[in-house]
Amino acid sequence: MIFREKIRVISNEEISEGIFKTTFKSSSISSIALPGQFINILPEYNWSHVMRRPMSIASQGNSEISIIYKPIGDGTQIMANWKKGDLIDVIGPLGNYWNNYKQTFPILIGGGVGIAPILNFHNYLNEKNINHILIMGAKNDREHFLHHAPNRNIYMSTDDGSLGIKGNVVDVIKFIYKSKNLVTNTKLFSCGPPKMMESVKTYAIDNNILCDLALETIMACGIGICQGCTIEKHVQDSNIHSYRNRFSLACIDGPIFNAKDIVTCM
Amino acid sequence: MHVEIGKVKFTSPFLTASGTYGYGHEVKDLAEVDKWGGVITKSVTRNPREGNPPPRIAETSSGMLNSIGLANLGVDKYCEDIIPFLNKLQTKVIINIAGSAMEDYLETLEILEDTNANHIGYEVNISCPNVKKGGMEFGVSCNMTEKLTEEMRKRTKRLLIMKLGPNVTKIEDIAKAAENSGADAVSAINTVVGMAIDIHTRTPKIFTNYGGLSGPAIKPIAIANVHKIFNTVKIPVIGIGGISSLEDVIEFMLAGASLVQIGTMNYQNPNIGPQLADELSNYLDLMKITDLHDLIGKVKYHAK
Repeated sequence: MIFREKIRVISNEEISEGIFKTTFKSSSISSIALPGQFINILPEYNWSHVMRRPMSIASQGNSEISIIYKPIGDGTQIMANWKKGDLIDVIGPLGNYWNNYKQTFPILIGGGVGIAPILNFHNYLNEKNINHILIMGAKNDREHFLHHAPNRNIYMSTDDGSLGIKGNVVDVIKFIYKSKNLVTNTKLFSCGPPKMMESVKTYAIDNNILCDLALETIMACGIGICQGCTIEKHVQDSNIHSYRNRFSLACIDGPIFNAKDIVTCM
Repeated sequence: MHVEIGKVKFTSPFLTASGTYGYGHEVKDLAEVDKWGGVITKSVTRNPREGNPPPRIAETSSGMLNSIGLANLGVDKYCEDIIPFLNKLQTKVIINIAGSAMEDYLETLEILEDTNANHIGYEVNISCPNVKKGGMEFGVSCNMTEKLTEEMRKRTKRLLIMKLGPNVTKIEDIAKAAENSGADAVSAINTVVGMAIDIHTRTPKIFTNYGGLSGPAIKPIAIANVHKIFNTVKIPVIGIGGISSLEDVIEFMLAGASLVQIGTMNYQNPNIGPQLADELSNYLDLMKITDLHDLIGKVKYHAK
């Protein structure tokens, strides 16, 4: 079931430098959404911006959902100015969700705009008492809103070393694999800026580690109609008819893909 | 609100624009699909098409550029997988056909004619700007349009609507050619060729460099084209291009559109057609208009 719901803004705040969190009252979407899924948001009613904005759900439940985003484009800048009480038109929940984590030791890796679905998955696994590692990457400590807590399997990385491990998330992954006595069946789950995801993908493939990536693309309809949000996959079987074989749709075939299947995160 | 094309009576003048409503079932949770006057489906071609590489879409001022490249299942799989869905719809179904050569269009039509399907007609895409051979060579030539329409006419008794684009010198001549060779209606306009460039990376915002511009940004272009066609042909004109409100619908009708299609704005509001149908009905009551023909083409010109 997909809902189109007008959801009320409960709070809209900057949780760390340049990163906003909006929490909404939502009865329908919150009741069925799963970590990894997204909503397609109409930032405001007008015809100067015709496209909705797809945003990963950062939390769901108790008749609330939240999103986390960086106001960089036209749409997200409108969103950052939403006031408490505003009614926002959204469609969701959409897309697939984090899955295939059972029988694995999950390592969750988030960065920049990709922290929402990773944080959601982290909380979800905590609720289920599933042991896992969380890695969050950022440029500096001002962009982080969590604490570096290796004793609780929570690792922060910063490019400038101002918090946690100096370097990028792949440096943290390498550090963890070197220093920790990990069970063998680790699996990476990642969402973040394209460059970060590309390096996570490369690391996973080079080291033969299972890896699922939540990809972000430009999107219009969110429900498989417009065919705009294409993800290029390696063609496994050229005998299947060519429609949606090489070019999958992030909205209904994703947004989560097996790292081995996709050509590029860029 | 009844309006007719040929012998087919539409209870609402609102149709979905091809490619913006899938096959009608994707939005079933979000819209009253059966309250549209009709659903025009995403283009189907003779063979499956994977479409263009990403990025395929970009938002622009009051519109969007797309270059999907007619990605679709191909007509054989379409008959297997899609027709059963379409047969379940309670509203009228018009199947949009695209091709790159005469035989593509004709074979696709013949296969659809031989299938057990309830569609009432075809819209023929001869104006897709996004593929190297997307029928554009038909849509820019009176001769080719005439030949294609004539051959398709021989093969179906269902409605035949030729979809025209604005990327031509005189759209009304193409419309006349379609009328002369047996089309029941023409729809206009397809998207307008456009380009957008990311100034930071200096790359075009879509892979194919040029794409099709749609949305409110193209409405005045569409209105002018509809008006030119209306003044030239007797068959109904279906107006398309950036409709987002009741005012837009009335404007298209005054310019000469008998029916309208809604495209890009479906992405904002998948139920826009049924909503505008209610609004139009209220407007007609309020203005004491009982026949849509009192609006269609009734633009009043400035005194000269």
